[in-house]
Amino acid sequence: MEFIVFVIAAAVSVAAAIAMVLQRHAMYSALFLVLVFFCLAVFYVLLGAYFLAVVQVAVYAGAIMVLMLFVLMLLNVARPESTDRRLASLRPFAVLAGIILIVELVAAVVSSSAAPSATAPAASGATTLAATPTVAVRATATPATYEPAGAVPVGHTQLLAAVLFTRYLFPFEVTSILLLGAILGASVLARKRPQLT
Amino acid sequence: MPDIASLLAPFQSPVPTSWYLILSAVLFVIGALGVLLRKNALTIFMSVELMLNAVNLSFVAFARQFRQFDGQIFVFFVMAVAAAEVAIGLAIIVDIFRSRNSVDVDDVSWLKG
Repeated sequence: MEFIVFVIAAAVSVAAAIAMVLQRHAMYSALFLVLVFFCLAVFYVLLGAYFLAVVQVAVYAGAIMVLMLFVLMLLNVARPESTDRRLASLRPFAVLAGIILIVELVAAVVSSSAAPSATAPAASGATTLAATPTVAVRATATPATYEPAGAVPVGHTQLLAAVLFTRYLFPFEVTSILLLGAILGASVLARKRPQLT
Repeated sequence: MPDIASLLAPFQSPVPTSWYLILSAVLFVIGALGVLLRKNALTIFMSVELMLNAVNLSFVAFARQFRQFDGQIFVFFVMAVAAAEVAIGLAIIVDIFRSRNSVDVDDVSWLKG
């Protein structure tokens, strides 16, 4: 069942991503990107990251893309992108670089998954509830390891928060300062400048 | 019936992590091609967001494989940084549009103005 959902969502996400890149109108690209975000939320649910799936829809599709659509409509760039381009002769090289990159990445993944030392002990049984070997160096400091069935009585969000606010408290606080800086920067950039006569 | 069960056996196991990584790589390359091939600044921005999301997918896939929350925490922070980046980037694009009345990156290839 998970396999079928994965294949469908993967096909839809790749098709929507390609359509997003090839569209002439930026508005259609934005809508296809929203479709990709929803497919990614489906993947997060398949991988057991329920909180992240909801945050993906709420933050990416619900805030970031809305902001982009607002700017798209504000700037009124509805006219289709003209096809003439000063560096059009370099376009095949970009496609070639993309093909080489995808071949490299797929080869790297396939070769590492085929190596016996790299096969994950948990990849073959997500349903096993035994004590899973944690691989990280600082594993003993983690308050909770991630077991899908073990999270049911406690709640996935609570386990995630237990890690976020203990081990990753400092990056959390730094992120709040980052967001404050982003607010200030956006306010400074958006104010009207006095026209130079 | 045992025949149906044996037929359904490959579909009962979870999707291997390498499949998620390959999908993440494909989405990343599509986003990279979008950055290289498009000249509308907003479309380039959206391709960058696609690349960030592809990396988020591999983070969550590894989080599931290694049974730790660290990958999901990292995705959390990537989302926060991406939101901040989008806010600033769109403010910059609006500012450029105000002065040049265009969002084509070819029109901002000169530093003056």
